[in-house]
Amino acid sequence: MTLKPRTLTPAGIIARTAIALAIGLLAATQLQSAMLLSLLTQATIFAIFALGVGLLLRQNGMVSFGHAAFYGLAGYVAAILMDQHVASAELIILLTLVVMAVFSCLLGLIIVRVPGIAFGMLTLAVGQMFFQLASTSRSLTGGADGMYLDWPARLFGVPINLIQRQDVLFGISWTLLVLCIAGLAALLSTRFGRITEAVRDNEERARFIGIRTLLPRVAIFTLSALVTSLAGLLSVLNTGFISPESLHWSVSGAALMMVIVGGYRTLWGPALGAIVFFLTRDMIGDYAQHWLAIFGTALIIIIVFSPEGIGGALQRLTGRRRPQRA
Amino acid sequence: MTSINIFNGLVYGALLIVMSSGLALIYGLRRVVNFAHGSLYMLGAYIGYSVASQGGFWLALVAVPLVMLVFGVLLDRYCFRLLQDRNPLTVVLVTFGLLLILEDLVQTVWGRSNLSLPAPELLSTSVNLLGTQVPAYRVAVLGVGLAVALGLAAWLKFSRMGLYVRAASTDPTTTAMQGVNTDRLSALVVGVGTALAGLAGVVAAPFLSLSPTMNSDVLIDSFVVVVVGGLGSLGGAFIAALVLGQIQSLGAIYLPGLAAVLPFILMIAVLLWRPAGLAGNRT
Repeated sequence: MTLKPRTLTPAGIIARTAIALAIGLLAATQLQSAMLLSLLTQATIFAIFALGVGLLLRQNGMVSFGHAAFYGLAGYVAAILMDQHVASAELIILLTLVVMAVFSCLLGLIIVRVPGIAFGMLTLAVGQMFFQLASTSRSLTGGADGMYLDWPARLFGVPINLIQRQDVLFGISWTLLVLCIAGLAALLSTRFGRITEAVRDNEERARFIGIRTLLPRVAIFTLSALVTSLAGLLSVLNTGFISPESLHWSVSGAALMMVIVGGYRTLWGPALGAIVFFLTRDMIGDYAQHWLAIFGTALIIIIVFSPEGIGGALQRLTGRRRPQRA
Repeated sequence: MTSINIFNGLVYGALLIVMSSGLALIYGLRRVVNFAHGSLYMLGAYIGYSVASQGGFWLALVAVPLVMLVFGVLLDRYCFRLLQDRNPLTVVLVTFGLLLILEDLVQTVWGRSNLSLPAPELLSTSVNLLGTQVPAYRVAVLGVGLAVALGLAAWLKFSRMGLYVRAASTDPTTTAMQGVNTDRLSALVVGVGTALAGLAGVVAAPFLSLSPTMNSDVLIDSFVVVVVGGLGSLGGAFIAALVLGQIQSLGAIYLPGLAAVLPFILMIAVLLWRPAGLAGNRT
């Protein structure tokens, strides 16, 4: 048996995207509680973050323990460019994404060659390197105090206080999340998606049939980093602040946890995991100071007893599991 | 000036030897990269702190490795062994979950503030080493690192058990077919690896302060060591630990701006040159 993915038709992707967008707009306009909206905004930003981590795991079979590097760096690149008044804020947003794409592509060319689990260890180390760098280079990044972003009064012609209103920002984040998932689903249903799956399942055989295996893996790595960078940008748009905390390995760890809890076999699983993570952390209230132990236990239980996460369990329940590899 | 830095680098290298040999041993037998290894080190340091405040440093030095040995045997029996047929990723993520739990445990039991464990009186003097005054305690740490390196090398090379360990690291299935009980062997090796992490924790406590975040720096440095040395290779890890100790110590003095990045530059350079590490083969 093979793990042939259930490919969606273009019409299927468009229909699902429209439904998901409508749900987001409904939530943004109907929810009254500012606290809930702010929680959902955070959850959605982390959902985009986790989407990047999950993409790497699903499509390349590689676990990253250092994706906070892209999340935090995107924020820092934007903050530093704005600090130096390099260009207009709109241009800086685009520039940040270009910088992150080039950077992650170069990094990917080096580190995706590293086999198996050593890759995971390497990502942890590289991530922590950026944490140390940001904490120590005081003149550029403000060190451990972090730095504020001075957003202009209007962004893309829209007043900044409208953009930063929680319901609007939630709507923007949700829309971007849905568009990212839809875009990736469309991309992965092409030949490129099947090539990356072949490389993931057996790199050697993929090479035998004439596929160049390095570039597809680098491409997925770059895409994954870019999606996570987008989350980093949204986060600094939301808070107007960036500090080394965003680069810390525990942030990467939390994102990885969301991916596993939500399930990485589907594109939307990690996003679901992020939302579950934030809602649960909010609900456990006073116990939240022990969230490390609680989520650590949950992670172990899920990975041992239900490795496909909530997403996999849902698919099983609705009877839409595709045949499993024996 | 330089000689004291080289000395400090050696001391840190010795600590990394004790840490990373545990990681390498566990990887060799179980093919598990233990992300909780730094947390086991931290747990060792904190248990050592509590034991030392009751019964003195020397008791802690003996008791902590024994406690951690038992912990390691249980970890192998109830975690690694049960998951040995699963995707390697599963076990790694389980150790990652364990890391989170242990971190919370330490914060809950001992609090978030920094603690310090004084060096034992016998070693609170300084000695003259090649014309430089150095704390006697650090010389002792160097001795511990050396003893662990030589002890492990001798054990693996000359004892029957060591032969089994080397055989099982190369091919566990064939070794089991020859009549070696690889499950018991793994339990022992994971126990020894965990005990070494605990030993490193107690030994480090008097010269690095205790804090609930002390695990991450040492874990990451140990990862750099075992990746540079070649996963599962003890010899490679010894060399890489000594090199990294020097880089950390001298880098902080001569290239302070780059000190945080140097270990990673070393790692990336080695991996570009030899993707499986200094002493690694490509399996």
